[in-house]
Amino acid sequence: MMSTETASAEVKSEGKPTPAKKPTPAKKPEEKPIELPEFEKGLSDKITEKFGDKVEVAFVKEDRVRINVGSENVHDVAEFIRDEMNFDHVESVSGVDFPQDKEIEVVYHIGSYSDSSLSRQVLVLATRTQREENPIPGKDATKLPTLRDIFYSVEFHEREIFEMFGVFFEGHPDNRRLLLPEDWADLPPLRKDFDTRGR
Amino acid sequence: MTEIMPGLALQKVDERIMTLNVGPQHPGSGHMRIVVQIDGDYIVACDPDPGYVHRGEEKMAEYRNYITNIPHLERPVIHDSCNVLYPYVLGVEELLGIEVPERAKYIRVIASELNRCIYIMYWLAIYGIFLGHSTMFMWPAGDREFLIDLMEKMTGARVTHAHFIPGGVRNDLPPNFEDVCLRQVNYFEKRIKEYAAVFYDNPILISRTANTGVLSRQDAIRLGTTGSVLRASGVDYDLRVKEPYDVYDELDIHTNVMKEGDAYARSRIPWLDMMESCNIIRQALQKMPKSGSVRTKLKPNPKTKGAATVYKRVESGRGSLGCYIVSDGKVEPYRLKLSVPSFRNLIALPYLLKGEKLGNMPSVYWSLNYWPVEADR
Amino acid sequence: MSVIAPKFKLSEFIKSLLGDAFWAILILNLVGIPAVFMVLFYIEMPVIHGELLTPFLALSWIADPTRTLPIIQSFMETDIFRVMAFPGFGFAALLAAGTIFVERKMLAKLQLRVGPFYCGKLEGILQLMGDGLKLISKEIIIPAKADKPIFWAAPVIFVGAAAAFVALIPVAPGWVVADVDLGLIAVFAVIGFFPIITILSAWSANSKFPFIGGIRALFQMVSFEIPLILSLLGVVILTGTLNLSEIAASQSSFPWIVFLPVGAIVFFITMLAELERIPFDLPEAESEIVAGWLTELSGMMYGLVQLGTYLKLYAFAALFVVLFLGGWNGPSIVPPFPAEIITDGITMGPVTLKVPGLPIFSQEMLNGTLWFVLKTVGVIFFIILPRGVFPRVRVDILLNLGWTKLIGLAFVNIFIALGLLYAGVLGPGGLQ
Repeated sequence: MMSTETASAEVKSEGKPTPAKKPTPAKKPEEKPIELPEFEKGLSDKITEKFGDKVEVAFVKEDRVRINVGSENVHDVAEFIRDEMNFDHVESVSGVDFPQDKEIEVVYHIGSYSDSSLSRQVLVLATRTQREENPIPGKDATKLPTLRDIFYSVEFHEREIFEMFGVFFEGHPDNRRLLLPEDWADLPPLRKDFDTRGR
Repeated sequence: MTEIMPGLALQKVDERIMTLNVGPQHPGSGHMRIVVQIDGDYIVACDPDPGYVHRGEEKMAEYRNYITNIPHLERPVIHDSCNVLYPYVLGVEELLGIEVPERAKYIRVIASELNRCIYIMYWLAIYGIFLGHSTMFMWPAGDREFLIDLMEKMTGARVTHAHFIPGGVRNDLPPNFEDVCLRQVNYFEKRIKEYAAVFYDNPILISRTANTGVLSRQDAIRLGTTGSVLRASGVDYDLRVKEPYDVYDELDIHTNVMKEGDAYARSRIPWLDMMESCNIIRQALQKMPKSGSVRTKLKPNPKTKGAATVYKRVESGRGSLGCYIVSDGKVEPYRLKLSVPSFRNLIALPYLLKGEKLGNMPSVYWSLNYWPVEADR
Repeated sequence: MSVIAPKFKLSEFIKSLLGDAFWAILILNLVGIPAVFMVLFYIEMPVIHGELLTPFLALSWIADPTRTLPIIQSFMETDIFRVMAFPGFGFAALLAAGTIFVERKMLAKLQLRVGPFYCGKLEGILQLMGDGLKLISKEIIIPAKADKPIFWAAPVIFVGAAAAFVALIPVAPGWVVADVDLGLIAVFAVIGFFPIITILSAWSANSKFPFIGGIRALFQMVSFEIPLILSLLGVVILTGTLNLSEIAASQSSFPWIVFLPVGAIVFFITMLAELERIPFDLPEAESEIVAGWLTELSGMMYGLVQLGTYLKLYAFAALFVVLFLGGWNGPSIVPPFPAEIITDGITMGPVTLKVPGLPIFSQEMLNGTLWFVLKTVGVIFFIILPRGVFPRVRVDILLNLGWTKLIGLAFVNIFIALGLLYAGVLGPGGLQ
């Protein structure tokens, strides 16, 4: 179950992606033929053109485009985003725990400083990985490839996700605790089964 | 380094390199620990260790509904609390589909700019004392009382105002607020212009901070820094101009950019930003509608109609603060993530301190506009 | 309701009185009389009006208090008085205490605050006494692995060296604790002690922050000693003597700062560095190395170090005044002692009181002291002022300053002095 907005559509190659100067925010949630903002649609089209059905466009909103990718392709998609689409840094990385799907989702928000047409846009890249009942952080199946060699700015963010969710990032030079004390021996705290009340 | 147990490693003591714990109980570190390894006077390696004041804000947010989340979400930066709440409030308004009245938007802009100035003055005071300049500690700490006074008139609290709620602001301004605000902001601007003589043109300060901790433009972009650190390295990026929220698109904002990227530039940009804030406050006071409602009434226990996500960001005193809310249709948010600028700028600290002299450590560290409490959340 | 001595017996009372009297007489005789003999053996009693002063004679003079004036005068001639009270420790400590208070108040006014306010009725005058009492009452904590004898001794030696420095400074003509012919070289020798004491204290504390602070203090003090000595050589060249009293006396017409301003400036800067005052307070840099070499000192040891620091401050300022600003010379503004009181005595109505032995202080001495204190206070004001204006310098800027720029300026100063001497303007054959 992905988090969707009312305007979810898997748009296959439709015309040429022409980045317009101003996006057209025409969203009427009740009508059937929904017009997506052109500039953002151009961005999502570029990605779906290259990767086809390995990615899924979750939504295309004003200033926000969300792409869902599987964990085996996220590294290539991120590399494409950095090289071809002029996004140059990651703003934040968050993890979301879905115990009912038995998955942990990691969401990257990618922005651009050097390209002035992209200065409002945030590209949301989301991947999922498995979740285990009794986690041993670092040594179980909750793993993701790291994006640190592509975007340097994720280094501390991924360390935080490692300690808070137990997601091990393969290839990260320094998977260590950041905010938690050194002797934390409990569940990763931001998981849903770590309850702060009544402990 | 050999690992004995998971998380515990053994390291042989080097005869030449000394490990210094600039720890939480240190007058030069704020509430954070930095482990530096020095070889004589030069820093060889630096390992920041935040987490001293980690409170679990994001976990706590999952147990409170959208309205009761407000008092604790503003605590990461107590005097810049309006700017910490701003993206959250904007995000909730988008999720729930609430319209904000015009006068409330102007009040929010004024409160946000006042908070930005209050924060920057405190940051500047600590920067002065880190360099050993006790006058520069006392003057900003004293001058910000004018603005805290204004915030107290507006909201009732000196810090942690809890004034923004989804739908507007809590209360209207007190009568005659506009005149008092204009007078105090004018006097405040006159006072901060005097800092040039005692601090920014001080030859010892210039010789100490110029050309130290230089962050080039590519590195600033690549490391994902934000706020005054980015603008001091030559990148013209200010969210109030690039992605205006509330009524910032009707105001005339000038972005201050410096090209050198050294510690002196990083310490000068917030001061210029403060003078810009005074201009913004004056414009907002002029354009504000003289009367009107300041709050859209909400139904009790608001919740979204289904699963939804939103990511909003705002330019706070330190940089761009983002709030990512995942909601699944209940009264509490499913996941709330605060993407704070101090945490994003932290990556620059080990990058810049490698190879620096020990004497430059406090000035480079604090010039990154770092607020330890916010980075820990 | 009060009950006085519920079991009062007169015989018990008289017995206790007699017992006390017995013990008093026993101790007085067995201990007091030999003590008096030993005192009389070693201390020379002064001769007053042709009579040797014995305790019997002293007691008989209580009837007429004016006759005790000669005793006071003779006491003031002794060395003990000079060391403890007037140009020595007491005077310096008083000026140091005044300096601390003025510094705190002045900095507070500069920084838009009030400073000490509540302790003492008038604007916090007694704050210093309160701080001293607090320091005495605190526990002294010694680190476990510290080198204890040196760690305990270092603050005491620090105060001793500062007091030795104070002892060399002449305050008024004839009033100096140690009138040494090579006075200036003795000053340099004492100044050379301070880095050694600092590094001993820092090293024996066996901790990282004092270690860094001590090394920085060593660098700073050693690198500024050379410009210090060189800048004073100009004055020595022009006066031809190393005796501090003679240097002060030689400035009766003009102070040396008029001819050697460069040397004065160099000396002022190196003085700030030797005193570890802002902008040169690296050894105590608070934001990097907690408190530098003072980190592990607590309680009265810290108090002693502060006392030594302010004594040093007074001594350096006084040295500046003696060498460059004319010492005690100044126009006579103290009125002379009215001569009638000496010859005729004080007359009040029908009663005339003859007081032999007045005046205690000569007019010359009072005038000299007044001018000396005024000039020293002025110099101390200028030493305190940079604390409110400048941040701290960094180590490499400091070393660059001390080893290159200041030595160059000091040499320029020496050349100016040599030029003035050989041109016949000053020195023997010229104006002086």
